Amino acid sequence: MSTDVTGVVVQLKLSLLRNGLRQSAGRRAAYIASAVCVLLVAVLQLLGLIALRGNAHAASVVVLLVAVLALGWAVMPLFFPGGDETLDPTRLVMLPLRPRLLVRALLAASLVGIGPLFTLCLLVGSVIAVARGGAAYAVGVVAVVLGLLVCVAFARTVAAANVRLLTSRKGRDLAVLSGLVIAVGAQVVNFGAQRLGSSGLSQLDPAADVLRWVPPASAVGAVDSVSDGAYGAAVVQLALTCGALVALIGVWSRHLTRLMTSPDGSTLQAATETAVRRRTSTGLARLLPAGRTGTVMERSLRYVWRDPKTKAAWVTSLAIGLIVPLFNALQGTGSIYFACFAAGMLGVQMYNQFGQDTSAFWMVAMTISSTRDAYVELRARALALLLITLPYATLVTVLTTALLGAWAKLPEVLGLSFALLGAMLATGAWTSARFPYSIPQEGYKNVAPGQSGLAFMAIFGGMVGGSLLCAPVIAATIWLNVSEGGEDWTWLLLPAGAAYGAAITLLGLRLAAPRTAGRLPEILTAVSKG
Amino acid sequence: MGVSAVRVRGLWKRFGQQVAVAGIDLELPAGKFIGLVGPNGAGKTTTLSMVTGLLRPDQGSVEVVGHDVWRDPVEVKARIGVLPEGLRLFERLSGRELLAYSGRLRGLPGAEVDKRATQLLDVLDLAGAQHKLVVDYSTGMRKKIGLAAALLHNPEVLFLDEPFEGVDPVSAQTIRGVLERYTASGATVVFSSHVMELVESLCDWVAVMAAGRIRAHGPLAEVRGDAPSLQQAFLELVGANGRDAGADLDWLGGGAR
Repeated sequence: MSTDVTGVVVQLKLSLLRNGLRQSAGRRAAYIASAVCVLLVAVLQLLGLIALRGNAHAASVVVLLVAVLALGWAVMPLFFPGGDETLDPTRLVMLPLRPRLLVRALLAASLVGIGPLFTLCLLVGSVIAVARGGAAYAVGVVAVVLGLLVCVAFARTVAAANVRLLTSRKGRDLAVLSGLVIAVGAQVVNFGAQRLGSSGLSQLDPAADVLRWVPPASAVGAVDSVSDGAYGAAVVQLALTCGALVALIGVWSRHLTRLMTSPDGSTLQAATETAVRRRTSTGLARLLPAGRTGTVMERSLRYVWRDPKTKAAWVTSLAIGLIVPLFNALQGTGSIYFACFAAGMLGVQMYNQFGQDTSAFWMVAMTISSTRDAYVELRARALALLLITLPYATLVTVLTTALLGAWAKLPEVLGLSFALLGAMLATGAWTSARFPYSIPQEGYKNVAPGQSGLAFMAIFGGMVGGSLLCAPVIAATIWLNVSEGGEDWTWLLLPAGAAYGAAITLLGLRLAAPRTAGRLPEILTAVSKG
Repeated sequence: MGVSAVRVRGLWKRFGQQVAVAGIDLELPAGKFIGLVGPNGAGKTTTLSMVTGLLRPDQGSVEVVGHDVWRDPVEVKARIGVLPEGLRLFERLSGRELLAYSGRLRGLPGAEVDKRATQLLDVLDLAGAQHKLVVDYSTGMRKKIGLAAALLHNPEVLFLDEPFEGVDPVSAQTIRGVLERYTASGATVVFSSHVMELVESLCDWVAVMAAGRIRAHGPLAEVRGDAPSLQQAFLELVGANGRDAGADLDWLGGGAR
């Protein structure tokens, strides 16, 4: 009986994979391309890990790799909930199945796919990299199996525990943020790789010393322990891994039972409505100015937090704006002028303001009946942006300065940052009115089909324009730095840059306002394609 | 009666090769419940978008309560309320926040906005869901919160595009009650629909649209004429009456063969 269920579920998984590929040629091509890519990487890392054999830090590297891989398995279902339909046990809820059978069947089905294959390659490579002697290889076989099962069970447990979240609107919101995790993660990995390149693999040892006791990395740790003859440690590490597997399966099975036996609450509205916490006028709202300015600022700031697309854009800007100058400074290769990056990255948020509204822009359009209204609307959006950007850019600049110890340069870099921010706000306001485009609300695209030219023109043109607008301040900075005795006067660049930034922002808003007021229907059409 | 609520002259709109609105002349009387009816694709939404200033016409002029929509937007926008079809709301605000935002954006004092919002939420049966985000609302709830936002500044003319589309009977009755109370006070409602029974039971004045043109307009009884129902009159007007759908499907039904 049990083998039957397992067989059926594995068959189901295979059928789902096959039918998914049958849907369209594009999907098939994408799947095959990604499969080839993953296999290529898998083979390369396998070769790499085998080449690592004998390296003094090989154990640290593989332990860290396995730990990162396990983390990947844990977050995968949160960000790609649609990736595996068999991950959603509520689809099987009508079937009379015992949890024990179901757990076994689902676990077996999870082992089918590219992900598990990749994991297998990495685990095998890891074992080869650290195993020395027959006993170590024997433990290695156990470690590979245990490691793979822990990874898969981890993913399943996380998915089962969050299935209500994942199938809800909040889950889809979360999925939008996944691109961002990858983007920021890539920056961190890039930085980490550079550090390793410059200072060697020994950097990894402290982290690996802890992680070798954390499942499933502890399975690979056990292989290393056996190779070193530390059999006691190896037993403990294997026991930890086994314990983790049992615990994960236990938690998973409990969630499964609850999911399969309790009614789906998603349609029971009346009961939950009373539980929604009251959102009344927040403290922030009382601090904002009255009238249109405060109203627009409040809405903009709420959207930074609540709208997944806006939030993703902001977090990306905040993270990259911090990472680039700070990491460059940490590596000692950075220039203090990199600190202006934060202002530039955050200023980009002023671009395509109305596109960020989507077709809800009609609500704004219905209330703009004069150039003055448009000016106040744009100014309020710029102010909301400044509320976050100004302190953040200042903080990044001060931190970068502190890391480089170049305090004498602080005023001029701050001045440059403010000037750049002003230029970005000015060009952002103008391009928002002149080159609006739609941001699709579903999926990962940030430009609606057919509007990428427009978006490119808006962003790229705006950035070039922004840099050109900054030219006077840049020229003044260079002049003061190269001229005799000019360094005594560089502090002047702080007030001058701030004043210049403020002035061009106001000028940009003034120029953008009549364009906005005069093009309301055209803007609405442009932003309604998402 | 004085000024008419809406006066449209020679209104045209093309999208590429497609003519959506082909020269409309129309005068809508004030203080009436007016239905704009027509089949899908007749140009109702395009017409309403141009009348409310959300879409620029290729040609023609629109006046709302005596003010030109494009030359005098200050006067017009303060006097109209709109519930468009197919456009989003600021869905990441809660129902109450959306009303607060919309009312304040229109320059109403904060305390007044909050008072009116509370009453509208109560009347429209949304009080229980007022702190829920609009993105989590059902279709009926979205129409109701959209209607509340359109009514908040007490407009003289209300334009509703398919306000009953996808709305359950209970919500429809609520919306209906609010609109009837509103027109009873002398305000004008212009709404589009393709459900004739609804238009017949609600409206006292109708304009029939098909293929971008107005086919008939006037008081309900006048447009209906001798036909037994508005539905029948409408089918005759748009020329869909002679079509006998049954003729070619003589094999359909009546036992297995």
